[in-house]
Amino acid sequence: MGRLRFLCALWAAKLSIPALKLTRHNGTNFPGELALKICPDFLRYIGKPARIIAVTGTNGKTTVSNLLCDSLEQLGVRLLNNRAGSNINSGISTSLITGADLLGRAKYDTAVFEVDERSALRIYPYVRPELIVMTNLFRDSIMRNGHPGFIADILTKGIPPESKLVLNADDLICSGVAPDNARVYYGLRRMDGDLTECVNLINDMRICPKCGGRLRYEYLRYHHIGRAMCADCGFASPEYDYAGEDVDLSAMTMTAAHGGERCTLPLISDSVFNVYNMMAVIAALCEFGIPLAKAAEAAGKTKVVGTRHSEVHAGDIDIVMQMAKEKNALAITRAFDYAVTKPGRKELLLMMNCLSDEKHWSENTCWLYDCDFEFLARDDVSRVIATGPRAMDYRLRLLLAGVPEEKIVCERDELRAADMLELVPGETVYIFHGVDSFDLTVRVRERIRERIEEAAK
Amino acid sequence: MKIEILYPEICELYGDLMNAKYLARSCPEAELVTASLKEEPAFVGGEVALVCMGSTTERGQELSIQALRPYRDAIERRIEDGGAFLITGNAMELFGNYIENEDGSRVEGLGLFDCHAKRRMMARYNSLYLGKFGDMDIVGYKSQFSHLYGDPGEPLFRTLRGAGRTPGAEPEGLRRNNFMATYVLGPLTVLNPPFAKYLLQLIGARSDALAFEDAARDAYETRVKEFSDPNRGFEY
Repeated sequence: MGRLRFLCALWAAKLSIPALKLTRHNGTNFPGELALKICPDFLRYIGKPARIIAVTGTNGKTTVSNLLCDSLEQLGVRLLNNRAGSNINSGISTSLITGADLLGRAKYDTAVFEVDERSALRIYPYVRPELIVMTNLFRDSIMRNGHPGFIADILTKGIPPESKLVLNADDLICSGVAPDNARVYYGLRRMDGDLTECVNLINDMRICPKCGGRLRYEYLRYHHIGRAMCADCGFASPEYDYAGEDVDLSAMTMTAAHGGERCTLPLISDSVFNVYNMMAVIAALCEFGIPLAKAAEAAGKTKVVGTRHSEVHAGDIDIVMQMAKEKNALAITRAFDYAVTKPGRKELLLMMNCLSDEKHWSENTCWLYDCDFEFLARDDVSRVIATGPRAMDYRLRLLLAGVPEEKIVCERDELRAADMLELVPGETVYIFHGVDSFDLTVRVRERIRERIEEAAK
Repeated sequence: MKIEILYPEICELYGDLMNAKYLARSCPEAELVTASLKEEPAFVGGEVALVCMGSTTERGQELSIQALRPYRDAIERRIEDGGAFLITGNAMELFGNYIENEDGSRVEGLGLFDCHAKRRMMARYNSLYLGKFGDMDIVGYKSQFSHLYGDPGEPLFRTLRGAGRTPGAEPEGLRRNNFMATYVLGPLTVLNPPFAKYLLQLIGARSDALAFEDAARDAYETRVKEFSDPNRGFEY
C-alpha cells in the first residue's frame, strides 16, 4: 500500500510540473507539497542520489549551497539541487521529484541540498547526507527559532549518525553540534582587525559550554565568531582541518591550507562572512574527494548571488541595495557593519520592515534591541531615513544608538522616503532591505535613479 | 542609586537588557551594575533600587537557578521589604516551584511563587500583547516555549488581547509588593513609556522624564492604536 501510495503521489506531482510551467508558476514547492499531502512519508520512498551534501546553518547556507553547486558543476559533476525551491521538506521533495524517473528512481548520482535547520527532524530520517556542511548558528527570527542553542539541539537530535560534518571551528555553537558524529573543522586564522572583546550586542557564547566559566577570545571577529578558551577548565575551540590564512581583503586573496598543502586563491567578496563561506565550500569539496588545488581554483571562480548586494551608478552617486534579512538582528548588524565601514560619506535608507507580518498582524520588533544600530552613529553617515510601517520604532532605536536627531528622517511611505534623500554627488546611498521588501526596494532604487537623472538635466 | 542586571552574560535574549539600560539612560543619577554567574549580586549585601533580569536559554535558566539558589532567602526578604524587581521573559519561571520538560523531568525553581512552567519546545508560542497595568495600556510581544501554571497570586498585568500566563488567561505575570515579572517582551520599558515612568517614580528617580520621550511616546501611541484594532491578527 505504501509503495502504491508513493507512486500515486509521484505521478500526481510529476503531472503538476508541466501544468505549473504552462501557468508560469515555475520554482514553487507545489509538486513536493502535493506529494507529501498524498503520501506523508514520500521522502522515505523517493529515490535519492548516492552522494548527498546538505548545507545548513543560520546565515550563508544559500550562498554556500550556490557556491558549492557552481564549483561542482565547474568540476564536471552533474548534480541535483534545490536552489529553485525551498529548503524545507516540500522543497527537497520537489527537487527529488524532478530528479527521479517515473518509478521514483534517482537520475542523479550527486545532490547538494540547502536544508533549513528546523527541518532537520523531518528531512534527515529519510535523506541521509554523506556530508553536512554547517555555516554558523546565530540568533535568527525570535518567533521561529528562539535562540541558537535550541537549533543546535534540534540538529544534534536530527543529524544521521553516519553523516560526516563540516563545521565552522570559529563558531562554538556550531562546532558543538552532534558531538558523536565524524567531523572536520574549517576556520580563518588571525586576521588584521581582529578583536579580543566583543563589540556587538549579540554574543551567544560568553560562557564556557563545559563549565560556565567566562570565555576569553584569542581573536574575535563578530558576535561569537572567533577562537575562544576557558581559563577555568581549559576548554578551547577546535583546531582547524581546513584553514584560511593570510586573508587580505585589500588584495582580495587568501590561502587555503589543509594537511600540509597550501593554495592561494582570489576572494569573491570582501566580506569576512563570505570568506568563511568560501572556506566552507573548499572544505566540503575536499571532503567530497576533490584535491585542494582544484577545490580552491573552483571556489575562486564562483560568484555571490546579486540579490544580496547590488550596486548601480547614477550621476556621481552609487546606489547600493544591501540585503539585511528582516527580523534577524544579526544579519542586519552584519549588513550595517559591512556597509558603513566602506570609505566615503553615505546616506542610509532603512526599509527592512517585515511586510508580510504587517499584513496579518504586526512585526515583532524585539530584534531592534539586539541589533547594533550603534554602528550607524558615525560622522561619515550624513543622514538616516527610517521608513515603512515600523519607521517610528527605527527612529527611537536610532536615537538611543546615538545617531543625532538632525540626521534622522522618519517617513512611513517608502517612495516618499526616497524623495527625502539629499543625493549629494560623491556620496553613496545604501538601501537596507529584507526579503519581503525586495520588489519595493527595486522601485525605490528606480525612484532614486530618476531623481538623480532629473537633477542632471 | 543602583540598577542591577543579573547574569547579563546569559540573560540577554530578545533585547531584554534594554529594559534596565533605558531606565538608566533616563535617570542620570542611576548607576548600572551587573552580576555575573560566579559573583554575589549587589542587592544581597547592599542598596540596589531595582534588580532586572531578562530572557535566557533553557540551559541559562538552569545556570541562573543554580547561581541564585544561595540567595533565595535574600530575594524573599527583599520582596517582603518592598525591594523592586523587573523580571522579563522566561526569567520569571525561575521564581516558581519548577519547570517541567516535555519528558516529565523537572528543573527545581526557587519556590518563591506557587506556580510552575511547562516547556513545549516544538510549539513556540508567538503573539502580540495588549494589556492593562492599572489604567495604563501595556503593549508588547509574547515569544516563548513555555507557559506558567498554578496559583501564584496577583498578576502584573490584566490581559486584553494575547495570552496571559497561559493562552486564554487574563492574569499575566507575577506581582508581589514591588516584585514584577512578566513574559511580555518589547523591551517592555522602551515600548511602554507610561510603565517606564512608573518604574522611575517607584525607584525614587529625581525625575520621571524619559530619554527621547517624544519619540518613545509616538511609537507607543501608534502601537496601542494598532494593537487595539480588532481586525489585527494577534496570534502568529
